[in-house]
Amino acid sequence: MRKFFGTSVVAVSAAAMLALAGCGSGRDGDSSSSGDAAKGFAANSLIGVALPAKTSENWVLAGDLFSNGLKEAGFQADVQYAGASTTVADQQAQITAMTTKGAKVIVIGATDAAQLATQVAAAHAAGAKVIAYDRLITNTPDLDYYVAFDNFKVGQLQGQALLDGMKAKKPNGPYNIELFSGSPDDNNAGVFFNGAMDVLKPEIDKGNVVVASGQKDVKQTAIQGWKAEGAQARMDQLLTSTYGSKELDGVLSPNDTLARAILTSVKGAGKPVPVVTGQDSEVESVKSIVKGEQYMTINKDTRNLVKETINMVKALQAGDKPQVNDTESYNNGSKVVDTYLLPPVAVTKANAAEAYANDPKLAPLTK
Amino acid sequence: MSRIKDLQKNLFGGTTSNARQFGMIFTLVAIVLIFQIWTNGLTLRSDNLIALFQQNSYILILAIGMLMVIVAGHIDLSVGSVAAFTGILVAKSMTEWDLPWPAAIVFGLAIGAVIGAWQGFWVAYVGVPAFIVTLAGMLLFRGGNQFIGNAQSIPVPEGFREIGSGFLPEFGPNTGYNNATLLLGLAAAVAVVWREIQARKTRRAMDADPVPMWISILRMAVMVGVIAFAALRFASGRVGTSFPISGIILVALVIAYSFYTRNTAGGRHIYAVGGNSRAAELSGVKLKRVNFFVMMNMSVLAALAGMIFVARSQASGPQDGNGWELDAIAAVFIGGAAVAGGIGTISGSIVGGLVMAVLNNGLQLQGVGTDKVQIIKGLVLLLAVAIDVYNKSQGRFSIIGSLMRPFRRDDSVPPASPPDAEREPAKAAVSG
Repeated sequence: MRKFFGTSVVAVSAAAMLALAGCGSGRDGDSSSSGDAAKGFAANSLIGVALPAKTSENWVLAGDLFSNGLKEAGFQADVQYAGASTTVADQQAQITAMTTKGAKVIVIGATDAAQLATQVAAAHAAGAKVIAYDRLITNTPDLDYYVAFDNFKVGQLQGQALLDGMKAKKPNGPYNIELFSGSPDDNNAGVFFNGAMDVLKPEIDKGNVVVASGQKDVKQTAIQGWKAEGAQARMDQLLTSTYGSKELDGVLSPNDTLARAILTSVKGAGKPVPVVTGQDSEVESVKSIVKGEQYMTINKDTRNLVKETINMVKALQAGDKPQVNDTESYNNGSKVVDTYLLPPVAVTKANAAEAYANDPKLAPLTK
Repeated sequence: MSRIKDLQKNLFGGTTSNARQFGMIFTLVAIVLIFQIWTNGLTLRSDNLIALFQQNSYILILAIGMLMVIVAGHIDLSVGSVAAFTGILVAKSMTEWDLPWPAAIVFGLAIGAVIGAWQGFWVAYVGVPAFIVTLAGMLLFRGGNQFIGNAQSIPVPEGFREIGSGFLPEFGPNTGYNNATLLLGLAAAVAVVWREIQARKTRRAMDADPVPMWISILRMAVMVGVIAFAALRFASGRVGTSFPISGIILVALVIAYSFYTRNTAGGRHIYAVGGNSRAAELSGVKLKRVNFFVMMNMSVLAALAGMIFVARSQASGPQDGNGWELDAIAAVFIGGAAVAGGIGTISGSIVGGLVMAVLNNGLQLQGVGTDKVQIIKGLVLLLAVAIDVYNKSQGRFSIIGSLMRPFRRDDSVPPASPPDAEREPAKAAVSG
């Protein structure tokens, strides 16, 4: 028994030594205060990219572009997707892991924009810069930058294209149009609509453009859940109530899915095809544009968005302030986030081949 | 008795039914060490340990309730949906009805109790299998979450966030550590030593076989060493961080429920019901009441887990709770619970949950994608339970023993023979 007593004393001291050796330094992490980041960081630093689940081709493409682009720029890239079922928890854990690994910049395509504030705060406290990619992260003062396409501009382009398209078909007004907007619970839907109205309102006031049904309020034009059948039903109704004898010249549609539903409705009623706008460059709509049915769509090229994000990372690495072009529009609930907005591109039949030249999926459709 | 057997029997307070858990602790230590080396020391760095506990406290809380449900011979598939449903109601209660956050927590627990009573009623008093009742609950409360929240995220106020992402306050002299965490560690170390002394006293008073002195001391030394190491790690994070509040809630629940399941009549009844419900009922256990209690308790813990997750995420969202039931169930089975019920411990489930958590965390630190992480976790779950089933078919749990087995294999022993199954709860009752 006494012999073992000795053994255990050794064991006790060993355990104590182990404990102390592991932590003799006291608090760590003090050295990496966020002030250092202003002076840049090593050129081969780790850059974390956390993206939502691989549910759309767009995110898969963005992930590939980030891995290759960051590696080409000399960084170490850690690109992670959230899992299919536990998306938010996965993304939270991934961002935390990137912080622990000492990533200098973390790019986040948020799976739920409101549920990442804790992780963003921890990353910021560890000295990492946080860039929100495509989706603004809300309710955190620790978000550094936001990169996205200019959604107000999307609306403006749609409004302008609608006017141009109608003018090309019929040199003189007044033109009869109808307005559609996206789902009322989607923040972007209102932004698109306001952008379009920014262009259309002066023409409507002049009497050059007439909303023949009189339904101009966003509550009347909204399509719940961006549902195609909702848009089709509303268009059927409008055709019956308003366009018995009048001619419909144009329809403002916020995206491609709704645009195609509107066209289906008009064709079903046996009316001539009006000028219809769209957005997203969906394959079916690009085909429709080439065929001369849908008038326009918007191209938001993921390649450009990723390229701009990587440019931001490069600027941060060099210790410069990244280029931003909007310092007042994007309030996330805690602060106004410095934003770089990319211009979306309006695509019609005339410039489709040129606009999709770099897109392996859409380019063949335009030939 | 050889010294190794002596050690195995006494070091972790276990007899054969605990040897599995003993094995899992070593697996956990091995996984931690492997990742510690593989990630160049990131795994045991204080900020990672703190994040690990914050990230997994809600799953481990679910595992406590799930263990009791599984021991009683049931299953609960609705925990994720119940958590999400509670989360959205609690978030709404604070942002729209202006409930102060402490009241909102009570409100959330009450929702959990009501849901639990609903599910418990169907399971215990109507006799619908828990699998069906909770499958229905999974759909019911997931739909409820989306109905109430309109599939949107609702933020929660500052004070409430503390239970999910808060830390202990900084006070006292600047020791280079978080003093509150150090005090907690000291309290835990004292408690371990006191418990060991008490246990020796009890054994002597009962004239039982005394545990050899060297084992007592070694056991204390290991535990105190681990506690000291953990306390220093957690205390040495970035200024403002400490052992997380969600972790403290978890530890308090683990201690309380371990005591309940091991040392009280009510807790032992759960094992009795799971082992052989007919026999339990004949010997005076109120079957319906036990079943009602475990189901209701599970939903209350699910509500708490949901609130902690919402507090950590700073908002309640439509994705909350997806797949949590599977994580909790996996933790319980890896931790040594039997699928048929009647066997399993709270501490085992926590170790099982930690194995999954460390695996997840370590692989993420290595930048392994979620696709591969899921594959690996699936294989670990299968292997852990397969080893258990194999060992049971050999009639013994010892890993060393099973290595020697080929030389004296007896094929006539069927897997989990009836006398075996009936003996187990009794054994568990002795050892806990």
